[in-house]
Amino acid sequence: MLSTLTSRTGLQGLIVYAGFVLIFLFFAATLGSESFLTTKNLANIVLQTAPATVMAVGLVFVLSAGEIDLSFGAIVALAALVAAIAMRNQPMIVGVLAGLGSGAAAGAVNGLLVAYGRLPSFLVTLATMGVIAGIGRSISDLQSIPVISPGFISFFGGGSLAGIPSLIIWTLAAIAFGHLVYRQTRFGAHVLAVGDNPRAALVSGIKVARIRLSVLILSGACAGLAGLLYAGRLQSARYTLGESDLMTVIAAVIVGGTALNGGKGTIFGALVGSLMMGMLNNGLILMGLSVSYQMIIKGLIVLVAVAISLRDPNR
Amino acid sequence: MSNPVLQLKNIHKAFGGVTAIENFSLDLHSGEVVALVGDNGAGKSTLIKMISGVHPPTSGEILLDGQPASFADASVARERGIEVVYQDLALADQQPVYMNLFLGREPVKGPLRLLDRNRMIAETEALVKELDVRIPSSRATIRDLSGGQRQGVAIARATHWAKKLILLDEPTAALGVAETGRVEATISGLKARNLAILIISHSLDQVFRLSDRICVLRRGVQIGIRETAKTDKNEIVSMITGVGQ
Amino acid sequence: MTIRFKSKLASTLSVLALMSLPLAAETTGPGGEAATPTSAVTIDDAQAAELQTKGLKAALLWHDQSDFVNAVTAGATDELTRLGIKVVATTSAGFDSAKQMSDIETALALSPNIILSLPLDPVASAAAFAKAKEAGVKLVFLSNLPQGYKQPDDYAAIVTDDLFQMGKHAADALATSMGGKGTVGWIFHDAAYYVTNQRDQAFKTTIENDYPHMKIVAEAGISDPARAEDIANAMLLKNPDLGGIYVTWAGPAEGVLAALRANGNTTTKIVTLDLSEPIALDMVKGGNVTAIVADEAYELGRAMADTGARAILGVENPPFIVAPAVTVTKENVAEAWQQSLHRDAPQTVLDAAK
Repeated sequence: MLSTLTSRTGLQGLIVYAGFVLIFLFFAATLGSESFLTTKNLANIVLQTAPATVMAVGLVFVLSAGEIDLSFGAIVALAALVAAIAMRNQPMIVGVLAGLGSGAAAGAVNGLLVAYGRLPSFLVTLATMGVIAGIGRSISDLQSIPVISPGFISFFGGGSLAGIPSLIIWTLAAIAFGHLVYRQTRFGAHVLAVGDNPRAALVSGIKVARIRLSVLILSGACAGLAGLLYAGRLQSARYTLGESDLMTVIAAVIVGGTALNGGKGTIFGALVGSLMMGMLNNGLILMGLSVSYQMIIKGLIVLVAVAISLRDPNR
Repeated sequence: MSNPVLQLKNIHKAFGGVTAIENFSLDLHSGEVVALVGDNGAGKSTLIKMISGVHPPTSGEILLDGQPASFADASVARERGIEVVYQDLALADQQPVYMNLFLGREPVKGPLRLLDRNRMIAETEALVKELDVRIPSSRATIRDLSGGQRQGVAIARATHWAKKLILLDEPTAALGVAETGRVEATISGLKARNLAILIISHSLDQVFRLSDRICVLRRGVQIGIRETAKTDKNEIVSMITGVGQ
Repeated sequence: MTIRFKSKLASTLSVLALMSLPLAAETTGPGGEAATPTSAVTIDDAQAAELQTKGLKAALLWHDQSDFVNAVTAGATDELTRLGIKVVATTSAGFDSAKQMSDIETALALSPNIILSLPLDPVASAAAFAKAKEAGVKLVFLSNLPQGYKQPDDYAAIVTDDLFQMGKHAADALATSMGGKGTVGWIFHDAAYYVTNQRDQAFKTTIENDYPHMKIVAEAGISDPARAEDIANAMLLKNPDLGGIYVTWAGPAEGVLAALRANGNTTTKIVTLDLSEPIALDMVKGGNVTAIVADEAYELGRAMADTGARAILGVENPPFIVAPAVTVTKENVAEAWQQSLHRDAPQTVLDAAK
């Protein structure tokens, strides 16, 4: 009986990949090589999901530690705006550091309130989401801020290295780094332990508060990087950036097999989940469906995927 | 008998003026199992927390190998070789057995300080074999194990890290008869490793099966210590309840 | 109501955030272009026949979903169908410029010949529409313009509401019901939103210039529609004999109406903008509401479709095209509702109007 249980757990982890392949095959069959299957379109999906994938990496850590971050969408806009404003009269590197720094700093505020203020992350980040969004609106005066540094635009947006678009390189780098830290370091193991059983982690000598602080900083920094990617891609920053990514990224991470209440997750799954969300967006538009039907179908597919991902084989 | 591993001398503990433990003294020797018994609220858990460094005593002395020990927190006690098997086991349910065995003390290798999973797995397999904890695999997830197997993992973890003393808090409270038997066999096996063992249990049958000495607490007061071979259940029960003395 | 309005608002309104023009006496384009009415932009049957042979495709890439967008979509889709142009994709960016960029890229995989879109944000959309522009797609913009884009090389034309006319119609309608004389309360949108600011100012200018016997005696800005009732109460307290009140849009007008009803006031007239069922109901029942001014969203969509089609045919387009405003009163509610949204008025309103 034990062996069947474990094998079911293993199978469950594969569902996101199976779902991804199924949806891919469905679009490939119905839309064919005229639109969906073109190299350009498939590359578009990866490019378009790059910022969401980077956000997803941070969120896997946060969820795995048993916390939630609702503010990362707002941090995306903040970081993009801070970077764009800094680059008005400063070199690119200052903009990059300011953007990433503001993301990490916003994450640190979340983290300090959660880890040392002992407040639930749901409420803390719900509140800071509003505060950060307000700061973004205030520093930009609701205006778009153009990014003109060609270096920045190429490095984070439309450029490429050895023929590989920079957004794909960023995606791969975020996934590789995230996976290494998550699976192969003591930090990753401690994140899982804290999310799984905080008391056990505490009595095992794991600095639980420090882990909680760290994952929220990491999430903020990832959101900051995502903000830079958006700023590079759109050659501008605007307070609305990232707003609509909140639910998409949470869904991508959950569909990818990360537990909403901690202790379990995968970085690769988050990548596949994020690509799946992007592919759904893309394919449903290409099918020529009205916007309302796109929303309904996407919602239903996410519901099914999340239901399967969350079904606990042991219960 | 050898020098005591742990000595508690005239321990007194009060929480905000309310006395939880008064004037408690106990010596623990290596290779010895001492059972701590008493009704709910007698102060057993408080005592465990003081020994494991969670609470400092209000007054009195804790000596480890004859040296005064002041544990700033649980991790200091752990570094000094004291391990606790908590009643709730303190296992991370969704992690594999080997990660739980090394929870918070994972070995790393290489310049990047990456987890040494192979070493953790190898050491876990050797240990569960040695302690005869029957689990399907060291890679099995805790939640896939039975209650007895989980208890076995928790005891194996304590055994792996304890250099001097293991505290066991109600190790079989949640287990069936057969599983209790297995866990008791594991505990008996620990004596051979020359560790001191302090066990809290509600089951007097178990206490008589496992322990060398029995220490009775009632409402924070140390009623007495008896050698298990020289006492019987009636005496212990009346010490616990205060009836019939 | 509020939300519906807001999305429409933000749609049309992000417009000239870039243009930052002074409030003009007439609706003018981003480069100061004179407005051409949508009625001047048409496709005749011969042109339609030519288009039908071409197997053309269009994509409608909206900024958001709303009543207004639905009516524009309906107008555009009906007209595109007449021209044999297939709508291959419809998207909504939910006010997210990053999503809009993705939508454009995705739609380009279907190689559309025409894109109808409201560019969310002039700065970001300049990059977002670049690929479509390079692919030679005929771009027809609703209300807003990507920074640095030049007509007719980069885009076919901008089509938008005639905001000035909406405000002016409101003033004319109120003046008619008040017999051209009396005191007026002016409740304007107190925020930097181009659409409402243009309309509010047009109302005020018209009253001041065209109606010498009418006087705006009370002004109140509103930023939160939920506070409309309080604001109206305060205004009525100071000016109990107000002849009429202009309310910037239908959402807060509902609050103002509530205030009048609570005061037992049946004489003060209300005029407001944008169609709303409760406001229309009060109007047809002979309540305080005297007229509602709406835009011709369906006609706007029709004109967008024809603008794109004309660009394909190489017919010159005027750079800045405006859809007319329509004044809805008790007498014309059924027709006017059709004219604005190309849809029947709500049954409750039609029944009450009988």
